[in-house]
Amino acid sequence: MNLMKIIRTLYFSAFVAFLPFSIEAQGLLDKLDKEYPKNPTYEMATFKTTRLGLGHSVETRKKGALEISWYNRYWNRPTGETQFFLADEVNMRFGLDYAISDNFTIGVGYSTWDEIADGYVKYKFLKQTKKGNPFSMVALQTISMTDNMMSKSLYGGNSSSNNYSFTSKVLIARKFNPKLSLQVSPFLITRSEAPMSNNPGTQYGIGFGGRYKVGGHVSIVSEYYSVFNPVKSIKTYNPFMVGVNWELSHLMLQFHMTNARTFAEDAFITQTTNNFNFHDGNFHFGFNATFVLHTSKNKL
Amino acid sequence: MNKKRLLLLLLFLNLGTILAQQFIARQGQVTFFSYATVEDIEAKNNQVLSILDFDKKEIAATMLMRAFVFKKDLMHEHFNESYIESDLYPKATFEGFLLEGLENAGPQVQLIKGKITIHGITKEIEIKTKIQKTDNSYNISGEFNLTVKDFHIKIPPILSNNIAKIVLVKFNFQYEPYENN
Repeated sequence: MNLMKIIRTLYFSAFVAFLPFSIEAQGLLDKLDKEYPKNPTYEMATFKTTRLGLGHSVETRKKGALEISWYNRYWNRPTGETQFFLADEVNMRFGLDYAISDNFTIGVGYSTWDEIADGYVKYKFLKQTKKGNPFSMVALQTISMTDNMMSKSLYGGNSSSNNYSFTSKVLIARKFNPKLSLQVSPFLITRSEAPMSNNPGTQYGIGFGGRYKVGGHVSIVSEYYSVFNPVKSIKTYNPFMVGVNWELSHLMLQFHMTNARTFAEDAFITQTTNNFNFHDGNFHFGFNATFVLHTSKNKL
Repeated sequence: MNKKRLLLLLLFLNLGTILAQQFIARQGQVTFFSYATVEDIEAKNNQVLSILDFDKKEIAATMLMRAFVFKKDLMHEHFNESYIESDLYPKATFEGFLLEGLENAGPQVQLIKGKITIHGITKEIEIKTKIQKTDNSYNISGEFNLTVKDFHIKIPPILSNNIAKIVLVKFNFQYEPYENN
């Protein structure tokens, strides 16, 4: 009797001893998977470029990256002597953007046609994670300045002082899957100059943007800005853009069709005076080239 | 009955030693090199996990593709976003076995045979490795070549001079006894 008891206990303990053995059978890789540290995984490259096409995206470059950019907008004059396809007029913006940290970028630029100098600060304060934060959020503050008497900007023409415009934006974007990312961007635009002929002094609205990747390096992008209180003295239209972004190693190329003629955020959002269609004067072809230079390199 | 008890006891002890024969590397290093006409690309992953089973002569390794560090951050983004697609295939894994086992105490060169999975594609591979035993741990290192095309990684023709067709991979794992049995 006593012996049987002992045997039973022994068998039981043998069974217990074999338990870890059966766990082991699940394979070494499964075992290793449990060893990964539980750090949050941030989504990367919600968009490939720091601009969608017209305006900013939630993307910021990594610390030490210098972006040298050359943006172009081509269009034809609606009347008078016109040239070949879209060769009548051009607006160019030359820009420099520098990433002070992974989340903080500053930039300056100058546009040739409307003679606007602009600058901005951009701060990413929330990053989308795989599990957790559903969005990335960026605060953007731009300033644009025009001092030319003959400036073609709607608000230009004051020779005594510079005119300043300020655009404050919050960019909220989500990468839904590896291909699709969408962005909404409420904005507020204020100006140093008092508004003329009961135009609103402060303008606000919301922007929408998105990209869809059609290949590893190419994506279709689109953007639209809706201004809730447009100026009254002149008919303006909401800017719209559809285009293709193409990344070639350190060079980002953007091609788009749009009705926006200018580059400063306040200018193209509230002062686009033509609708989006294919008539001369309305149809604009945009070509942006941005080169990314790494001024600091990681040690391996 | 005493004999039976002894047998079981022996079995117990034996089991214990089998379980103790696993070794883990938590900070394994994997580096890859792409030498192309336009530029040389080098990336290093210092967080590779590997486990070595002495008794079964088995070895496995896994790593997060995101953990590769490049000299230029943009390369890191392109590697993950456009080539490796780490959103879809976050890990690379290896599962294999040592052809000879680890009975030999001294430093040795051995073939490891197994399956490597990158970008969702699994390939058979044979890797010549250097194995060294130090006190209570092992060091395994070696190198091998991978053909980029084998793993269905697309390189646009316009960038074909930027990325090598064959990439050299080097690894170095320092193992310690695995305690979580």
